[in-house]
Amino acid sequence: MATPISARPTSSVGPGTTLLGALLILLGIVTIGSLALEITQDSGVRSALDATLGAGRPSLVIAVLDAFGVLMPLLVTSLGLAAITLGMGVARRDVGATRTAHDGVTWLAIFALVMTVLRLTQGAPLLADGTLGPALAVLAALALRTALARAAQVPGLAHEPLVAREARTAWNLLVPALVILLVVAARPLEATVITSLTDKRFASDDVPSFVGLTHYRTLLTLRLDEVACRTADDGSCARSANGAVRWESIPRETLLDGYRTAWHWDLPLVTAPDRAISVGALDRTWMRAIWVTLMFASASVTLELLLGLFIALTVHSEFRGRGAMRAVMLVPWAIPTVVSARLWELMLKDTSAGIVNRVGMMTGLIESPQAWLTTAALQLPSAIMIDVWKTSPFMALLLLAGLQVIPKELYESARVDGASRAREFVSITLPLLKPAIAVALIFRTLDALRVFDLFNVLFGRAEHSVSTYTFEVLINNQEAGYASAIGVLIFLLIFGFAILYVRFLGVNRT
Amino acid sequence: MTRPTWRHALRRTPFYLVVALIAAYALLPFVWAISTSLKSENELFGPAMLLPSEPTVRHYVNVLSSGAFMRSLANSVLVSGGGVFVALTAGSFAAYALGRLRFRGKGAMLYAVLAMTMFPQISVLSGLYENVRDLGIYGTQAALIFSYPLFTLPFAAWVLTTFFRGLPREIEEAAVVDGATTAQIFGRILLPLTVPALVTTGLLTFIVSWNEYLFALSFTITNPNAQTVPVAIAQFTGVVEQQEPIAEIMAAAMIVTLPLVILVLLFQQRIAAGLTAGSVKG
Repeated sequence: MATPISARPTSSVGPGTTLLGALLILLGIVTIGSLALEITQDSGVRSALDATLGAGRPSLVIAVLDAFGVLMPLLVTSLGLAAITLGMGVARRDVGATRTAHDGVTWLAIFALVMTVLRLTQGAPLLADGTLGPALAVLAALALRTALARAAQVPGLAHEPLVAREARTAWNLLVPALVILLVVAARPLEATVITSLTDKRFASDDVPSFVGLTHYRTLLTLRLDEVACRTADDGSCARSANGAVRWESIPRETLLDGYRTAWHWDLPLVTAPDRAISVGALDRTWMRAIWVTLMFASASVTLELLLGLFIALTVHSEFRGRGAMRAVMLVPWAIPTVVSARLWELMLKDTSAGIVNRVGMMTGLIESPQAWLTTAALQLPSAIMIDVWKTSPFMALLLLAGLQVIPKELYESARVDGASRAREFVSITLPLLKPAIAVALIFRTLDALRVFDLFNVLFGRAEHSVSTYTFEVLINNQEAGYASAIGVLIFLLIFGFAILYVRFLGVNRT
Repeated sequence: MTRPTWRHALRRTPFYLVVALIAAYALLPFVWAISTSLKSENELFGPAMLLPSEPTVRHYVNVLSSGAFMRSLANSVLVSGGGVFVALTAGSFAAYALGRLRFRGKGAMLYAVLAMTMFPQISVLSGLYENVRDLGIYGTQAALIFSYPLFTLPFAAWVLTTFFRGLPREIEEAAVVDGATTAQIFGRILLPLTVPALVTTGLLTFIVSWNEYLFALSFTITNPNAQTVPVAIAQFTGVVEQQEPIAEIMAAAMIVTLPLVILVLLFQQRIAAGLTAGSVKG
């Protein structure tokens, strides 16, 4: 005859599970309650609720979002609800719930301990408000943990299926990584998205006002105008000192609307020789930064691929000193970008001390010493050249790994069939290397689109990439709202590429 | 081995020339930096010569006796070490779960980790800036130790997951039969097998943290005492205040780069070791 679970003799072991369950439910309620208390105690929220401020008071939604976001309250609430559900499970003597509660309480103790230690290392006394709470939480959680451990070992409990056990272990192992990524990635990203909709200034404690998509509108608005060139005395197009054609400015009304020309497009075949298309934007520096970044990324990645492929094919053949050669190829990659930027700054000096000018003059490649880093037309090519130097050997290593998995037999049978070397390359090497090439390309493109170090060191504020522009707006101008909007746009751009990459690679789930 | 006749050697000459050219392309700027760091002032502003005529280590002595530079070196070691520690501990736990255990939601987690390895740092700069300020660690080394897992952790977790997955299942099954717990399997059996992979991952995350510039610049811009080496080098104005101290910058650059280059040479062998360990049978 089956005995009802509650009738089994268990009360002799530890405190009753009903009590434990009730404690957990209480813990859940306290968690959710303290979140609500925390929100109502926040200074921004209080000023939003302060009726005496009248029409000037900040919006409540923005006040809450600015201070807490969505993720954290959601997480705390679901943890509270989880504690309540687990509490009911423990009271019902559900072994899975008891063990999960045990693990959860263990993590609670660990995080409370970390909090306490952090507070103490920051010099807060143990008995202070913010230290004593976590310290007591450690003790309470440890006591609860012991009780739950005993409750989970009561004889007569149903066995937990092995699969459930494995899954619980897996999630326990993932907790540290998930918590860290939540704190350093998810929450900051969320804050960036929220801030991008406001006029927040950096390091200001005032509740910002909601501005909607204004920043995005400023960043993304473009207009194209056809402009004629300015005519010189002889009727031809006037040119400035550096040889560039001088164009008429865009119509006055558009200037009054805030548009400025970011750059001119004078495409042969599309526009007449004395005409160009002015790409106008509300934020000219930003639009120019996008253009520069895209040019930089596409040119440097293309060159790196070609050069990397050449290097990989060379090093792939067998010769003495191949191991040493591979180590050599890693050297430019290992040099910090800041160091290589300063090194090239030195090598590109416009005096005779600049080795590049000297070698260029000696070999007749250039006629006179060039100011590589200060001449507008040479800045981007110089940056591309430096990036190509630094990353093509690494690209070559990625491709080399791809070359090594191509079975040798394919080449042997091709040779038996009398295929030429060129034919071998086109019909065997290239198709089989395609995955490696794709991975290397996507990887490098993502990297090049984020370029910061090189531009910051080489050009300061003279030429911006999208990353250095974000930095400029955020750190130097302290416009957190606007900088956040740029950050979100970069995120979308990079993540578009990243999704492609992940799709392409696929994830092996076994 | 085939007989290396002179004819054979001659036929290979163009090939070796190409190899030499590639090596020169990769190494010459580096050689130039070392050479510059050894040159005397007179030579620096004269016509560029590949080798110093009268080498001097004075610039190295200057840089190494500069308190500010040594402090930035110590900061870099601390911050990179912290980054590696967090990445390897949290990363190896996560990797064990992702590489060896079965649970619902694993596919999504794998996608998340892989996508995170490409996370653009610049996008969260504004949010992270606020976080760091709220925690009261703005302008300290702690801000960097706190934020570096953003890029070290997903990378470490991903590399180690691939590695754990490559280990044969039989090892664990035998241990389970012998009555080992999950913790024992992880700590006593799998972790020792992963030491080569841990070393490789550790080295890579160390190099990436050591070279990191964006966060280092943003979070320590107001406090020179907390700056890491890349920030120090980018803003190096020299120990002796005169014209741009090229040789000293290069000496400082070489001091922070040489350890990396040496690590890379070691790392070459580690790759091989990691691959062999991955192919161990039972």
